[in-house]
Amino acid sequence: MSPPPAKAPPKHQGFVTCTIDGAEVIARPGTNMIEAAKHVGVEIPYYCYHPRLTIAANCRMCLVEVSNSPKLVPACQTPLSEGLAVKTNTPVVKESHRSVMEFLLLNHPVDCAICDQAGECKLQDYYMQHDFRPSRLDDRKLLRNKRKVLGPLVVLDQERCILCTRCVRFMDEVAKEPQLGVFERGSQERIDIFPGSSLDSNYSGNTVDICPVGALLNRDFRFRARAWFLSTSPSICTGCSRGCNTFIDFFGQETYRYRPRENEEINKSWLCDQGRLSYKYLNRDRVLVPTLGRGQDAQETSAAEAANWASQKLKPLANTPELAVLASPVASNEDLIACLSFVKQILGVSRIHAGGRPAGEADHYLMTADKNPNRRGLEWIANGLGLELKPFEDLVSAIEAGSVKALYAIGAELPAHPPGFEASLKRLEVVVVQAINQGMLSAYADLVLPASPHSEDEGSFTNVDGFIQRFRPAYPTRGGSQPHWKWSADLARAAGLAWTASSAREVFREGAKQIPQFASYDWDASAPPAHLRPGGGPLPAAADGRPPGYREWGTPRVRGI
Amino acid sequence: MAEPLSPEAADAYDPNPPESELEAHLPTKRMVVNLGPSHPAMHGTVRMKVELEGETIIRADPEIGFLHRGFQKSCENVTWTQCLPYTDRLNYVSALMNNFGFLSAVEKLIGIDIPERAKYIRVIGSELHRIADHLTCVGAIGLELGGFSAFLYGIEARELIVDRITELTGARLTTSFGRVGGLERDLPEGWVAKVLKTLDKVETLASEVDALLTRNRIFVDRMKGTGVITALDAMDFGFTGPCLRACGINYDVRKAHPYWVYDQLNFDVPIGENGDNFDRYLMRIEEIKQSHRIVRQALQQIPEGPVILNDWRIALPPKSEVYGTIEGVMAHFKLIMEGIHVPAGELYHSTEAANGELGWYLVSDGGGRPYKVHVRPPGFAILSGIARMVEGRMLADLIPTFDTINMIGGEVEQ
Repeated sequence: MSPPPAKAPPKHQGFVTCTIDGAEVIARPGTNMIEAAKHVGVEIPYYCYHPRLTIAANCRMCLVEVSNSPKLVPACQTPLSEGLAVKTNTPVVKESHRSVMEFLLLNHPVDCAICDQAGECKLQDYYMQHDFRPSRLDDRKLLRNKRKVLGPLVVLDQERCILCTRCVRFMDEVAKEPQLGVFERGSQERIDIFPGSSLDSNYSGNTVDICPVGALLNRDFRFRARAWFLSTSPSICTGCSRGCNTFIDFFGQETYRYRPRENEEINKSWLCDQGRLSYKYLNRDRVLVPTLGRGQDAQETSAAEAANWASQKLKPLANTPELAVLASPVASNEDLIACLSFVKQILGVSRIHAGGRPAGEADHYLMTADKNPNRRGLEWIANGLGLELKPFEDLVSAIEAGSVKALYAIGAELPAHPPGFEASLKRLEVVVVQAINQGMLSAYADLVLPASPHSEDEGSFTNVDGFIQRFRPAYPTRGGSQPHWKWSADLARAAGLAWTASSAREVFREGAKQIPQFASYDWDASAPPAHLRPGGGPLPAAADGRPPGYREWGTPRVRGI
Repeated sequence: MAEPLSPEAADAYDPNPPESELEAHLPTKRMVVNLGPSHPAMHGTVRMKVELEGETIIRADPEIGFLHRGFQKSCENVTWTQCLPYTDRLNYVSALMNNFGFLSAVEKLIGIDIPERAKYIRVIGSELHRIADHLTCVGAIGLELGGFSAFLYGIEARELIVDRITELTGARLTTSFGRVGGLERDLPEGWVAKVLKTLDKVETLASEVDALLTRNRIFVDRMKGTGVITALDAMDFGFTGPCLRACGINYDVRKAHPYWVYDQLNFDVPIGENGDNFDRYLMRIEEIKQSHRIVRQALQQIPEGPVILNDWRIALPPKSEVYGTIEGVMAHFKLIMEGIHVPAGELYHSTEAANGELGWYLVSDGGGRPYKVHVRPPGFAILSGIARMVEGRMLADLIPTFDTINMIGGEVEQ
């Protein structure tokens, strides 16, 4: 018996060289075939494969022809080997795609019209690409539970499920909370929660994102919008200080959902549920017009009048300890640079207090206890401008002691509501608040200036680990609101100072000179590409760049969209 | 003789003219007259700036754009199928020919062949609309030269054809008929018999028009020898259709590059020799007769069978499949929402419309919407030659000339 022939040395040392559809691929050993194919422009269809999950190879959609096997092999599971020839477009492979699609659709309900996934559904995409044949089913489809509530955020339609088990593997491997499982076998097979438990992980929303079909649905988003009406803009989650990268999906001037955007260093492809639902403050209880006067006496006013009033009231208190400043770490770097420069240069303040949302719970993966997206940025900016950053409690005690007569708040979020704070707020002579949402501080303010959140302007946040991250605007500012930096420019101008910055970009460029951590940050180059909108729907922006559905007079109140 | 007035100076209106201007001097100045944009003899809304010396036209300058709708740009924002209603508004007198021409171009870009029956129906629809278009043109010539009766006969015949078209497509004017890959519906029941009856009647009426005009002394005097263009000039300007053939050039897309089933049908292409208004009129009278031949043959030869391709990437699935199966609803959804994925590429394709070569230059980037849709309307090139045809002639010649070139605002101004 002769020994097997010696293995030929690899064509490129340390790499595997093979061909995919005739194109040569030089890859590191262990590279996934689907990923390798993408690099030579070959799309291998798949459902169950996910680059961040283990390989299940159960959907059979990625079957390809390889030179070392007589049968088709799943591309997701087959290692690339030296000299391998992979073919993805032979008649056999094409027929296999068709057959797999036919099987997957066999028991799929006729639901596109009422399914949230329609428009971003892999079943629809692959059906049109690979199958496009009529149904051959002449029997009834299997009936299963169509609305199995799995947890607070997720509902499952078992009829639509193709059992790719992405969700099960995600809960096991990424969330590390194995709450989902595959039950029964054969045609009775279904995804479900374990008896007596519920899908209450803080990462349950990701199962909806990775579900390639409309089986797992977000209860918060369900039936609220059709995917193709939504436009998408790359942004940053403001739910905590982690700074997970997101897409804002919006229609008109309303945000409908956050979806995770890939970032290898921070959130991979995931987003926690708390962050996912944190978009609501962008829509609800917004302050949209400047109001002058407290409580019942509040009157709407114009931006110019409001700025004049504020500068008249605050200017006399400049350079005195009677003027306190509260800065919120919910505001962006640009907002804080502009506003803090204003309070330092014009109001002569040397000490500011940190506002922001109250701390909450952290979890085992992404979510941090600090619920403010930009605390690190606030610290850096205060430090760079030479401002002393004091905790909120100092402000409370100073107000109670009566040593503070006026308050200028950049952002109305309060970290705590100490007893008696309301009463002491009432004693203040002047309260000027730039607020995104209605709240306690805006209720007791003499002047409320409507501020825009991150969805309505461009800018950057500094996350807990010191990553500076750019976000892009989704839609124009709502109502009479404008970004904090713009208000500070208006106030400065009303105080008689020439203020040159006319965009967040210019604010950052000017301010970054004084803040060492920002000095080497390339603001323009760091912006996420605006054209990157996977699943952004087939509707393009209008020729003038306005998103579909945008109206000058605000979002039309149409039921269902 | 006074200094000729520049058109700009003539355009400038002086509300308080100096005393001298009010006096009528016999050596006349050149006068600039606006014919249109709303003048009964200016079909559509074209404005003709005519510089006159006495009654002689020194310069004629057609100004178009009053009917501009942004056709090409609009097409880039919708799916290939959704372009169809826009094409109705090109030559609105014979919308079916625009519909079918556009669809043929898209089909050629995809590289598909439509069913035989659909080809026949396209020929029948096109030729019916060619008759309607020519009847309108001929009737309007009579009308504007003072022969109202001829117009009434022509329009009565056109109305019969429009009725048949309405039965076929559901619309009198904006037909939006046909889909990429064929037609969305077959001929209505009993339609063929009705069309045959209509053709008989239309033939009688068309011959009435012919009898009223062709040997009418006043008509012939106004038409013969007026609006002349040489064959060479006509080709240089890019004339096609009856206006080119009136100059003696034998070019008809149906014969030169046969499409659909024109190569299986017997018909002649009339050729003129003088390139004047009368020949252009005669071309249309004769083409009406030839179209009759074509329609009758086509109705006789038309085979049974499907009218649209059975490929769900191109044609919508039948409604029963859409409502009853997931495959159907998915195909329907993707076709409606994303459009037909036309392979990336570009092409020029043309068909013979009533006024000449209707050309389409299409570019696809592989998506469901056109990257570029350029249409070559036959009327545009012909209108550009009108100055050559009337300059140095009498103002009265402009009217029949503008009639016989049959400028259609919808396609020229897009």
